[in-house]
Amino acid sequence: MQFKQTRLDNGLTMIAEVNESAKSMAAGFFARTGSRDESPEVAGVSHFLEHMMFKGTERRTAFDVNRGFDELGATYNAFTSEENTVYFGAVLPEFQTRLVDLLGDMLRPALRDEDFDMEKNVIVDEIARYQDQPQYRLYEKLMAEHFRGHPLGNSVLGSAESIMALKRDDMRAYFDRRYSPGNVTAVAVGKVDWNAFVEKTTGMCSHWKPFDVSRETAECSGAGTRGTIVDEKVAREHVGIMSPAPSGQDDARFAAQLLATVLGDTTGSRLFYALIEPAIADEANTTYDMLDGTGGFLTFISADGGRAAEAVEIAHAEFRKLMDDGPTETELAAAKNKIASAATLKGELPMGRLTAVGFDWVYRREYVSLAEQIDTIFAVTVDEVVAMARACDLTATTVLGLGPVEKL
Amino acid sequence: MMVIRQPMHYTVSLGLWNVQYSRLACPRQIGKMHARYIWIGDRPLSQEFHTREFNNGLTLVAQRMADVSSTAVTLRVPSGARYDPPGAEGSASVLAEWCLRGAGERNTRELNDALDALGCQHHESVQSRHITFSTAQLGRNLAAVLEILADIVRAASLGDETFGPCRDLIRQDLAALEDAPARKANLLLRERFYPGPLGRCIYGSDESLAALSAGALRDHAGAHIGPDGAILSVAGNIEWAELSDRAGECFGDWSAPAPGEPDQHPPAGGVTHVAKDSAQAHIAMAYPTVPVAHEQYYAARLAATVLSGGMSSRLFTEVREKRGLAYHVSTQYDSLRNVAGMFTYAGTVPEKAQETFDVTVGELQRIAEGIADEEMARARTQLKSALVMQGESTAARAAAMAGDWYHLRRLRSLKELSDAIDTVTVDKVLVHLRDWPAGKFTVLVIGPEPVNTSAIET
Repeated sequence: MQFKQTRLDNGLTMIAEVNESAKSMAAGFFARTGSRDESPEVAGVSHFLEHMMFKGTERRTAFDVNRGFDELGATYNAFTSEENTVYFGAVLPEFQTRLVDLLGDMLRPALRDEDFDMEKNVIVDEIARYQDQPQYRLYEKLMAEHFRGHPLGNSVLGSAESIMALKRDDMRAYFDRRYSPGNVTAVAVGKVDWNAFVEKTTGMCSHWKPFDVSRETAECSGAGTRGTIVDEKVAREHVGIMSPAPSGQDDARFAAQLLATVLGDTTGSRLFYALIEPAIADEANTTYDMLDGTGGFLTFISADGGRAAEAVEIAHAEFRKLMDDGPTETELAAAKNKIASAATLKGELPMGRLTAVGFDWVYRREYVSLAEQIDTIFAVTVDEVVAMARACDLTATTVLGLGPVEKL
Repeated sequence: MMVIRQPMHYTVSLGLWNVQYSRLACPRQIGKMHARYIWIGDRPLSQEFHTREFNNGLTLVAQRMADVSSTAVTLRVPSGARYDPPGAEGSASVLAEWCLRGAGERNTRELNDALDALGCQHHESVQSRHITFSTAQLGRNLAAVLEILADIVRAASLGDETFGPCRDLIRQDLAALEDAPARKANLLLRERFYPGPLGRCIYGSDESLAALSAGALRDHAGAHIGPDGAILSVAGNIEWAELSDRAGECFGDWSAPAPGEPDQHPPAGGVTHVAKDSAQAHIAMAYPTVPVAHEQYYAARLAATVLSGGMSSRLFTEVREKRGLAYHVSTQYDSLRNVAGMFTYAGTVPEKAQETFDVTVGELQRIAEGIADEEMARARTQLKSALVMQGESTAARAAAMAGDWYHLRRLRSLKELSDAIDTVTVDKVLVHLRDWPAGKFTVLVIGPEPVNTSAIET
């Protein structure tokens, strides 16, 4: 496993984790931009733009882009979050250069009017699709509540209204504000031909004009409110609980990852025994969300309406207990094994390593091999977990329910 | 939260995404997997297959993958939802949950803790024919995990005190389907498309779950969880001799009566509208095609790939790209042992439901008129490339080998798969589409209004 890096004069960084024994390679362009970088009047533009990147360039139609990936037999996709937009594909090694040609070209999109207008329909339908998924609706409302007044509360999808009102020139202006080469990282993992990767990426991207890009990264301690959105049409009570956690730049993030596993992994965790085993809830799990400059512990519970309030109280008691007494040595050891095992499994596939390697760079300008990462996790002590939990205050929660229940 | 460009249906499914990104959808994993044949392979040189058939009817299949440090196990026990006794539907799902509530010398917590301490990721799922126990762990922990798996299937405690919560979890899973209309549409469609009880909804009904008792389910388990027809599939960094010995110790003397196959009755079929005041109309439809063992199998897979293999496929291009009708439209091939279907799903805003239905059906039928050579070439490349890329995943390999053994009673090498794909010509696909046209549709729509299906054969 070898790490490589270099940078173009215009600021675009290229990195690679080369694994000679892999049978495929994956490449992605990571743009450090998302809904937190949007102003309210263009809500949803990051995600809409991600769709438009597939709609063609000066030398490709939309169909040419799609066909291009399919001709390579690529597994490919793109996603947009609050703070990242990533375009990626995995191919057999012989198609590396053609994959980079496609990805690099896509990132200078034509943004044609007719494509823009047609794709609005798809985005509006995508918004409707999520409306039928209560857990997603809840997530969006919870983020808006917890991060009230902070750009991380912005919706990734936007609303049907904001999308319909969006002008092509607004999108172009957003692109010209965010897609500077210095704000984009080209990442390759697996069986990578590094020299060819550098050469091709340089050819595709060295003419991109650099400009300054900034982001508001204030910390946020969270609203700390408790509320419900009553919707009789929703069958289950879906509850989201969020509390502060270490940022993506904080060394305490490993302790946070372990804590989330002890607390709310889908099997064998505190919440599993407290809520799932006795069937008080049919879902209860906690994840740790590393964000740029801040972070969050996020717990989702799904329960019968009649037992949702009880489930929330039990979860809170578990938060309190874990913060006061910490995990046992046995629990911590099991969490370490689980995380190491999951990272190893994921790491065996280039597609599984791509985001890990990419985000280590985007958030911290560092490369960490899988082995080093596992060593770091195994070195975390019970005391460090307790100190982190207390410093963040696990019980400083924002709680939001969606479903039939009026009060939690 | 990450919002993705194309629904995961399209990407060749490794389960990778679910694990990696979807923090919203991390439910307990019982029964969340559809029975779906995953079709994959590996590069020929690194493929080292082994099989061992035990006298009790259990088969061990294995692939050694020298470049990885993990191992993955798929244990399929033929006690799936089709065997649920009439009036006791949901039995298999409750049982899959119940088996983890203590086994051998361990109580629930000790069992879970033992798996956790081994860094073992595990999940249990129920399909038509099987209850499937899947695990993934570092190679050095494989032997210990096999011992625990043997306890789970051979010596589950099935205590009275743990029965109630297990049943209640399945009742909640059933209720949760109301909040997942796309998934519900597909489950209801399967139920109507496949001959009964093969496609039955794995969660049963409120009534059937209420009618279950610990004693009756224990008897059902005694009669149905056994080695005959069971498949133990292992992929990863293994030593065959060691694995074979260990599997023999764990499962070799397992004995239980072989259950009979349930009586089948013809599928309900038809057009069903489930009224719901939802934001989207969820349109699901299926028509019959050939099962995995059929000589036209590869032609069917290529037809599905031309229709829905990537973003340049027919459905994505015509429904989404050109007309902006739906974010998600796709067709998937699905096979039980003797019956199979092409399952299509489209979700769209209600006012566009009719046009989406008409355009989608039009594409499913129009493909029989002809396929361009370059479309076929793309479809072949996509399938073959997916073979290699998924072949790097131990979990995908373990699942695929179990599928091969179930459908074909042998393992297919990458070379065989690749050659088979190469021999399918446009003409062969067209012959297949004439033999198995997009007709005799079963349709299920969840949404505010029904769609008009008078233009199609049902």
